[in-house]
Amino acid sequence: MFKIITFLMVLMVAAVPAYAVEGDEILAQVDKNLTPESYEMYRKLVNVEPDGRKKEFILFTVKKGNDKIAGLFISPASDKGRTTLRLGDNMWLYIPNVGKPVRITSLQSVVGGVFNNADIMRLEYTEEYEAVKVEDLGKEYLLHLKAKTRTVAYDRLRMWVDREKMLPTKIECRTEAEMLIKTLYFKQIKDFGGGIVRPAVIETDSPLYKGYRSYMIFAGIKARDIPDEAFTLNFMPRLETLR
Amino acid sequence: MRMGLALLCAMGLLVLFWKASAAEGTPTFDLSEIEKEVEKKPYAFGGFLQAQPTLSGLDRDSPLYRLRFYQDEPGAASEESDVGVRLEGALEYGDLSAFARLDSFLSHDPDGWDGKMTLMEGYLSYKPGPHMALDAGKRVTKWGKGYAWNPVSFVDRPKNPEDPEEALEGYYLLGGDFIRSFDGPLQTLAFTPVILPVYEDINDEFGRTGHVNVAAKLYALLYDTDLDLLFFTGESRTTRWGLDFSRNLLTNLEIHGELAWIQNFQEITFLENGQALFNESDVWSYLLGVRYLTETDLTAIFEYYHNGEGVDPGDLKNLYAYIDQAYDTYQQTGNRSLFGPINSLTKEGFSWRNPLRDYLYLRLSQKEPFDILYFTPAFTTIVSMNDWSFNLIPELNYSPITNLDLRLKGVVPVGGKQTEYGEKQSDWRVEFRLRYFF
Repeated sequence: MFKIITFLMVLMVAAVPAYAVEGDEILAQVDKNLTPESYEMYRKLVNVEPDGRKKEFILFTVKKGNDKIAGLFISPASDKGRTTLRLGDNMWLYIPNVGKPVRITSLQSVVGGVFNNADIMRLEYTEEYEAVKVEDLGKEYLLHLKAKTRTVAYDRLRMWVDREKMLPTKIECRTEAEMLIKTLYFKQIKDFGGGIVRPAVIETDSPLYKGYRSYMIFAGIKARDIPDEAFTLNFMPRLETLR
Repeated sequence: MRMGLALLCAMGLLVLFWKASAAEGTPTFDLSEIEKEVEKKPYAFGGFLQAQPTLSGLDRDSPLYRLRFYQDEPGAASEESDVGVRLEGALEYGDLSAFARLDSFLSHDPDGWDGKMTLMEGYLSYKPGPHMALDAGKRVTKWGKGYAWNPVSFVDRPKNPEDPEEALEGYYLLGGDFIRSFDGPLQTLAFTPVILPVYEDINDEFGRTGHVNVAAKLYALLYDTDLDLLFFTGESRTTRWGLDFSRNLLTNLEIHGELAWIQNFQEITFLENGQALFNESDVWSYLLGVRYLTETDLTAIFEYYHNGEGVDPGDLKNLYAYIDQAYDTYQQTGNRSLFGPINSLTKEGFSWRNPLRDYLYLRLSQKEPFDILYFTPAFTTIVSMNDWSFNLIPELNYSPITNLDLRLKGVVPVGGKQTEYGEKQSDWRVEFRLRYFF
């Protein structure tokens, strides 16, 4: 009886599609190439309206390990001092005048426009997604990714990965029913030093926001070890001290 | 003045629906320019300019109108305007830093012009690392999880539930913050002690003077739930204990609550002759709320608040009757001495803002409807459950260009005679607020 069960278990493991394993490996390599596991980063977020009007935000971000990320708005003046914190699925926003940090959700947007909180406080793709299919397109892989839990902002991702650089070139964010929510385009590869070579600009558009475009421009990324206490509600008003 | 108000409103509406006509091409980004923008300086300076005209339709039969305007009645409508600036400055030197927030406003109301400068916060900090901070000076502690009310906010001034996101003025205190992080179900533990002196010329609005008070908060992030245990003791106010929590049940559904036990509270009862009687007893205040975000970006905040420090509707009726009596006496004899005891009630713990015991709060805000970026209409209602009177507050928020915030807001109290909202001094109020941040 034991032998039969063992045989069946081996058979089940062997039946897992090879492309899923390969897809997860590609995804892990993409994560590794995009950012170190723990880092500090400066970004500019730009929302562009159909008539050309722009609104810009500058954000300082620190991340540690797989599940901790915090952000500080440096500009514009109306948003200066706002901080965000993400611990796994928990997200908070602190607005200096308003008071204590309030819980927010991944689908909301602290900046308006096409980027939502999940985009701004993104953890590693491998933390939230698993590959269910890989297509070989020659110069690129196309990964079909599925969210590991229902708390993730987008149920499905389609990620085009540059085969040589192992960096994403385009990501489509979709619902469980495969409805397109937004598309991210990765552009302008830059050497940030410390072995980090990655796209410096992410452009996004969305069929839900026709004519609007948003940009995320990476101005500086470097590996940095940060104490766990920096990723707490009490520290949110003092995040500026890490700069 | 009326012309000025109309002009300001017209300007506001013009900007509200202004659209830039010149479309720009695809933006280009110079990374070296951004690197210059993020360079940190040891000092920071900012704030906003504000203009806020308000037009109110006054209820001349209301006791609160009579209490405020018995000497010089403005008539059926009142215009008020605030013009001013909020300045914020910060300075950093190693582990030491200083911060100040100063409000300087000129106000015009039926009594004329008045200028006021208020240090909202101003403190020195010592921050040797993320695990510890020490503060000394005037600051707001921001305790509690409720949106409209915070019964456990033992060392802050009460929020205005009609405008709960407005900055509060702090108290002078010594405070600490000690944080530890862990792996496992308990992710964070933080201890926040506060020492609050109350003397004739420092924090005298807080309570009885001549005493040093102590408060503390213990915070834990446990099983993805925010938990706080809070405590206050001292001679300036009676001892009180508190508990609050906040947790996301779903990614788009958050629940929160607060519970405060106030020992030896001086409960107020008003007799028909206006006399206030005080009875010492332990009271409970509590709040339970939810915040829900729909797929269409509609945020709903709903809270129930039991105010253990409030009075019965019958006592409020007696108070209204006494104000009417004091008003009639003043009209007939010119004697205003009967108003004296009413004006001193707030020092004895009575709040005109939430005088009764049970309230409901509902706020619905729709982010960027009809694809209008940075535009958020909202609707709020506050219901006094003890007499079922209520407030209706529609508002439009728009930020058409960077650093410019516009808000058009109405307030309509609804209720019968001798109810809380039925007897507010205004039948309606419309205010327009313009803020330019720098």
